[in-house]
Amino acid sequence: MTENDSDLVLDGNAAAGLLQEIFALEITTAQIQCDTCDSVGAVGSLRLYAAPMGAVLRCQHCDARLMTAVRTPHGRWLQMTGARRLRFQRRTGTA
Amino acid sequence: MTETVTASGRRLDWQLAQVREIAVETFRVKSLLLHVPGWQGHLPGQHVDIRLTAEDGYQAQRSYSISSPPEEELLTLTVEKVDNGEVSPYLVGDLRARDQFELRGPIGRYFVWTVATGGPLWLIAGGSGIAPLMAMLRHRARQKARIPALLLYSSRSLEDVIYREELDAMASHDPDLRVVNILTRKQPTGWAGPRRRIDKGLLADACFPPSQSPKIFVCGPASLVEAVSSLLVELEHDPLAIKTERFGPSGAVS
Amino acid sequence: MAETPISRGFKSRRAEQTPKDRLPPGQYVTTDFPVLSAGPTLQIKVENWTLALQLGGSLLRQWSWAEFETLPQTTVKTDIHCVTKWSKLDTTWQGVTFDDLLKAAGLTNPPEAYIMAHSDGGYTTNVPVADLVGGKGMVTTRYEGLPILPSHGGPARLFVPHLYFWKSAKWVRRLRFMEKDERGFWESLGYHNYGNPWKEQRYDGD
Repeated sequence: MTENDSDLVLDGNAAAGLLQEIFALEITTAQIQCDTCDSVGAVGSLRLYAAPMGAVLRCQHCDARLMTAVRTPHGRWLQMTGARRLRFQRRTGTA
Repeated sequence: MTETVTASGRRLDWQLAQVREIAVETFRVKSLLLHVPGWQGHLPGQHVDIRLTAEDGYQAQRSYSISSPPEEELLTLTVEKVDNGEVSPYLVGDLRARDQFELRGPIGRYFVWTVATGGPLWLIAGGSGIAPLMAMLRHRARQKARIPALLLYSSRSLEDVIYREELDAMASHDPDLRVVNILTRKQPTGWAGPRRRIDKGLLADACFPPSQSPKIFVCGPASLVEAVSSLLVELEHDPLAIKTERFGPSGAVS
Repeated sequence: MAETPISRGFKSRRAEQTPKDRLPPGQYVTTDFPVLSAGPTLQIKVENWTLALQLGGSLLRQWSWAEFETLPQTTVKTDIHCVTKWSKLDTTWQGVTFDDLLKAAGLTNPPEAYIMAHSDGGYTTNVPVADLVGGKGMVTTRYEGLPILPSHGGPARLFVPHLYFWKSAKWVRRLRFMEKDERGFWESLGYHNYGNPWKEQRYDGD
């Protein structure tokens, strides 16, 4: 099966389907700032844990939890306590 | 399922995909060529979610990268059969032309490259991680773009190299494209190419120096992606110019 | 709602399975042991490990690893059920029952009705004390006779097999008595507060 525990870690890309059910704007390119270590990066590059229970997205640099999203039959949940802010990109041209 | 309309006006609804053709890539990998009525196009690097429903109502959902370029009418998903997997053995083993399943997308603008982005283009793939990068290379070829491009592709053996003939042909007809196959477990006699896991030396030698500001895309198992990204940063490439996508053994967030 | 198209020939893994009376509704049997964690696998050194029983903010009792290993050991063989639908039958675990922890702490009665389990890495989950006493809950250190692997929550995890397995907190370090029930990590994000697999209490609202 998995040779390596680190092969279990996916990223924000894999959670994009769930996140796009929640966010009206394109989420994987949004820049998110970590409240713990101040670093900024694209949501698509965050480390993803806990699929399939939900999407727990953690800071690439310090592993702090930035976003957690869950879909249940009764609704969707989103927690963003570890994130300072999100900046969504402007739509540029193509397709 | 509730409709979701994104700011781009594009719907993220479930659509029906019909299998038009199935192509064998390697002994554990197949490409599924799909017709999706009303498909509005995609950017190279994006993926789709697919959903299978069994007769008893049970559903399974997975994500797969689109390996076809936007210039192609049919959508191609390249699937590797995972041992003990739930979905991939069905897609690679049982699926037939005219079968259908649900699909939504395209998803994700983060891991995307088009000719308009420019180059040089540096692609690094491990195993089935080649899929979204292939969409980028096929798009580049269709646009006849003279953008310098390099693909480092790590596979276990020559038999495991997906799209081998197509990549060889692309490279031989295009002086601006270089393809380097790295075979980590088994090499044919006389193999002159790299035969060890991608390391700092290989990245430093093969490649575009930071001064050229290459657009870098790394895709494959998380362990490879993490290792290569760290090495690239050590070699002083701009971390913001390195885009990564990690493939996992079981895929989707439910 | 429009009919969902059936994918010809796709069978749930679950179809091939087992003794129905042993499986809670909606579950299927797995022979492997899937790993699911809300964060990176922690590599905890037992020399630095302690387990604490707390009441509100104050410490009732704390054990080092060496001390913990001298407490009465219990071995159980039971089934475990994950909310993601896999169940694993006849799994063997060894550790210290909650009853024995209370005894070792000199508590004849639990001081409050609820426990919040706190783990290294920040994970939390809440469990009624009634679901821990009487042998129903343990802090386990061995799985199938061997030390629990870090990816499965070692060196020690809470073990409450009659509830969905997210309640069996990996890397547990503190068990805090609470006067009022409070929701833990998953319970605060849409999952059921109690989590009885036999009543299929997966999500808040079930």
